[in-house]
Amino acid sequence: MHLAFYDLKQHRGRFIATVFGVGLLFTIVQAMNGLYRGNIYEGLALINATNPDLWVVERYRGGPFNEQSTVSGFYHYSVKAIPGVEKASPFIYYTVERPVADKSRHFSIIGYDVFGGLGGPQKIFAGRNIEHAHYEMVAHPKLGVHVGDRVPLGLHAYTVVGLTKEAISSDGEALVYLSLPDAQEVLYQRDNEEIRNQRERLLRTLSSQSYLSPNQADKLLAPLQSDTHIINAILVRLKPGADRAEIARLIDKWLYLSAYSTEDELQLMLKGRLASMAKQLLLFRTLLLIISVVIVSLVVYTFTMEKIRSIAVMKLIGAPDRVIIRMVMEQSLLLTIGAFLFGLMLIQNTYQLFPRTILLVSGDTLFTFIIAFAGGILASILGLWHALKTQPAMALGG
Amino acid sequence: MEILRIEGLTKVFGSGRLEVRALQDINLSVSKGELVALLGPSGSGKTTLLLCISLILEPTAGKVVFDGQTIFQKDGWEGGADMRRLRREKVGFIFQSHNLIPFLTARQNVLLPLSLIGIKGKEAETRVKELLEYMEIADRADYLPALLSGGEQQRVSIARALANNARLILADEPTAALDTGRGTKVMDMLKRIARENQSAVIVVTHDERMIEGFDHVYHLKDGCLERNVMPESVNE
Repeated sequence: MHLAFYDLKQHRGRFIATVFGVGLLFTIVQAMNGLYRGNIYEGLALINATNPDLWVVERYRGGPFNEQSTVSGFYHYSVKAIPGVEKASPFIYYTVERPVADKSRHFSIIGYDVFGGLGGPQKIFAGRNIEHAHYEMVAHPKLGVHVGDRVPLGLHAYTVVGLTKEAISSDGEALVYLSLPDAQEVLYQRDNEEIRNQRERLLRTLSSQSYLSPNQADKLLAPLQSDTHIINAILVRLKPGADRAEIARLIDKWLYLSAYSTEDELQLMLKGRLASMAKQLLLFRTLLLIISVVIVSLVVYTFTMEKIRSIAVMKLIGAPDRVIIRMVMEQSLLLTIGAFLFGLMLIQNTYQLFPRTILLVSGDTLFTFIIAFAGGILASILGLWHALKTQPAMALGG
Repeated sequence: MEILRIEGLTKVFGSGRLEVRALQDINLSVSKGELVALLGPSGSGKTTLLLCISLILEPTAGKVVFDGQTIFQKDGWEGGADMRRLRREKVGFIFQSHNLIPFLTARQNVLLPLSLIGIKGKEAETRVKELLEYMEIADRADYLPALLSGGEQQRVSIARALANNARLILADEPTAALDTGRGTKVMDMLKRIARENQSAVIVVTHDERMIEGFDHVYHLKDGCLERNVMPESVNE
């Protein structure tokens, strides 16, 4: 006889309310699982999509994503000159907040050599790739733009020539691809008033030098302007059969730069920016699972206490302990499984509404279910303990 | 045929200055088809005796023989005797407050003891139907106890006690929660069960009006069985 089922049928209001409540907790647990996977996916997507043989960055820096790295633009010629290097392309990556389609948008810009360089978008699902040196962009649809739209950035407006979904910025925002000079301009181009002020300040400083004539000071002004030919990394493709470790060592030794493989870059992200987030989410998930188990435990305990006289009667008429254990445990598991399925159904139907990527992986769902199932068994212990120590004599008397 | 024999049964709670002799040197024998009443005021030891007979409380001394099997002797429960199994296979219980399982229907309440002894399916359903019809409550089979009157609940409770073809039926104040009319009806049913089913029935009660027609009436006072009064109807 399915005693647990009959009891829950009679208390279906409370059962459904508990399933909803605990189910929402499981929804959050699974959303966090998805958020964790989504963050990892987003954090590594650009590295995986770009996937050069080597990432060359400022020495001792874990750039360009995990840490800021600045390298002079001309260095890619030096890297290209190393034996075994087939291609070395300048690469720039930075995050901006600009108005796009009348809305302030947070997104990341990638600047790359559009004429055969590495680091550009690989899969365009609408439009085409960048074909001109200036004023064209390829964007992620998350930016809210369409092919043909014109997006003003800094001094110029850029035409959206293509859309790609392949990668996303490491913080989950949209990506915009520009040609390297355009990206550098958007990043380094300062306000006209600021440029004029700085030039005035510099000219005044130079003019005050007794050893410089006004004409000489004026000539020095242009070369002393801040350099905008700065890049964040050099992407390297090696010739077939080239020794990656050896080339990385040469770059380190002779160019005073650091070189990482794509796997190293992934590890830098996983152990760096993504590590604390992963721990945080793990802690939240653990706490939520504990809370779920405690709630189920209290509900099962309440259910058990309410039928303690019935349990005494069952013991008196000879019900073996296994019948009582099964009843309490089945209730706990029905609650836990019901709540889990409700949570799963809810997250499966709502994950698209989250602003960040929620990546639901069946392995995570199964693991969470196993933990929840074990928690359900654990939750029944308090009720079981009370049920088993109930004396059948309690059934006698008024 | 003797179903239950108790010899010199004594139950002592506590020790030393706190010692309480709840039962003292009780001798009782109940045979097949016999109807026995245990009368006594509150605190006389009725419930303690019932617990010892129910194989729940271990006596301090004496001997208990149930259905030909010695289950207690001076040193304790006899090895190998599974008390809960004996109860579910050979004993039926009727309670003062009916004690039906509130989340099971009348039919399921009667089905419960059958499922505990492994009788399931059509055989169990047929037996339940017969019992509910025998107790004249078949039309209420699918009602939850809360929707039944006190008398109806007690009839379901009796049907449940009969489900396992109990050799011994123990009724603890079965009429206490009922009015006189319904109480008399329940007692008549118990008499019918004793005669027709040949079960030994022990009824604990404090209401002397309800014991007419019983085979033996025992009075418990301060833990002792004082006398064995044969009701007039039986003597005649």
